[in-house]
Amino acid sequence: MKTWLLPILMTVFVAILVTSFYAASWFGDQYMLRAEPYDPFDPFYGEYVMLQYPDLEAPSGIKDGPIYFTLKEEADGYAVIDRMENEPFFGAISGTTYDNRVVAPQLEQYYVEQGLGPDLEDAVDLQVTIDVSPWGTIRPINLEVRDE
Amino acid sequence: METERKLVQWRNEGLLDQAAFDRILAFEKRQPQKRKVPLLLVIGLIFFALAVFSFIAANWQLIPDLLKVAMVVLLMWIFYILAYFSEKKHFGRPIIFRLLGLAMFAASILVTAQTFHFSTSNSVLPWAIYIAALAHYFYWRHFAYAVVAFIFGISTLMSFLPQAGWLEWGIFIAVALAWFFFSKDNAPMIFSWMLLFFSGLMLWNLVEYNSPFWPVWTLFALVLLLIIIPADKQRLLSPLYLVFGAIMLVVYLAVRGETEMSLVDLNWPESIALAVTGLVVLVVAYIKFRPVMWIALLGAMGFLLFDETAIALAIVAELSALAYLIIAQRQDKPLALGFIYFIVVQFVIYVIYAWERLDMSLFFLIGALLLFALSGIAWWLNRKREGVSP
Repeated sequence: MKTWLLPILMTVFVAILVTSFYAASWFGDQYMLRAEPYDPFDPFYGEYVMLQYPDLEAPSGIKDGPIYFTLKEEADGYAVIDRMENEPFFGAISGTTYDNRVVAPQLEQYYVEQGLGPDLEDAVDLQVTIDVSPWGTIRPINLEVRDE
Repeated sequence: METERKLVQWRNEGLLDQAAFDRILAFEKRQPQKRKVPLLLVIGLIFFALAVFSFIAANWQLIPDLLKVAMVVLLMWIFYILAYFSEKKHFGRPIIFRLLGLAMFAASILVTAQTFHFSTSNSVLPWAIYIAALAHYFYWRHFAYAVVAFIFGISTLMSFLPQAGWLEWGIFIAVALAWFFFSKDNAPMIFSWMLLFFSGLMLWNLVEYNSPFWPVWTLFALVLLLIIIPADKQRLLSPLYLVFGAIMLVVYLAVRGETEMSLVDLNWPESIALAVTGLVVLVVAYIKFRPVMWIALLGAMGFLLFDETAIALAIVAELSALAYLIIAQRQDKPLALGFIYFIVVQFVIYVIYAWERLDMSLFFLIGALLLFALSGIAWWLNRKREGVSP
């Protein structure tokens, strides 16, 4: 039994990692964000689109550096910042801000099928659908060209 | 067949008698024959594996998320099962299968990250493999796992950048310390010691105050380890302190000689504190482990760096190299590392002070290099002659 302990623990670890992503969908809320792409390749993970979000802007009074924020849906269906603090609070997505621009590690990249990256880059106007768990983790669900 | 042919040859030459010939032949025939896997089967298996992988790759985007991860985890299990039977039935090398299993574990995290668009700018992957490799090491005690753990230990440290956190850093040190104390073999002990040293360099990122002396403070702090480990382990680790200390002195010399040192906060209080700590290290090393005493010299670094010409630092480096060589030769200790340090010091001093007059000094440099080469050849020939004579 001891021989199998390590592979079992390693499998449990991967299972927890995977479950944590599904949990964001099971228990969380879904949002759609306007997105713009840049820089498309990683030698290990394949093709992806780096994303930035024109609607996510730090409100005045927020210092550059680590930030914590939640999202809310606007009338047009796209999400914007609901609440943003420099100190952590429960349910917040963690990220950083510099010069009013907001970056969150879990929102930065979206892996796409090989060959699709340049097309999405050319389209420029994109939209991302994400599930946000009540404890602030994100599971990106979909990336597509925005029709506006 | 080859053995038999050789034996016949030796018997015909009179090197073996018939009785010995028969005994050796009988012994060789009793040995188990190595079973060879047919070449065609091997080639066929390789092609089959390639076909399976290219089929999976071609349909990658169509495979459901969960299945992608499950396939790699299944592959991991196949390798661990193969390792188990390889140990029981004595085929192949269990260590290779387990290393492949470990690699598949890494692959399963990579695939999870890719499938769920998980950010790569964090330390989850290196941490997971570092801990898994350590667990493998403690269970099977094989050197290969220690090497993997060391590589991913470094990778974990690097992943802390650009914004390292105290908690994660503290956990890393706790894990490296545990590895250090519970290692029975020499190599893992050296690896874990190096991880502890490199984690000290993270202070540049963790602390806002830009001290130029974090490496020296770290080395001095690591002297505490020497106090609590047994004497044989002290002997094992002593050269590490000297090598890292020597590298530091040369780097400080190069940096002071070649730059303005405007990125660090050089000040008297820290320099004095460093000198006092250096004295404490000197006293402790003198009482408990004299070979390490040399690193106490680094305590003077705080004062030496104030000299913008770096001449004082160059003199200290030069004298320490010479003194080490002389003392090591008198005590009949190995000279190789001391000699390398001596040569490196000469080169650094040369670059700092003679670079601008390169055309003139090149003549002397080539002369010096020739002299080094000739003296090296003479020393080698001399040693060889001494080795031959009884």
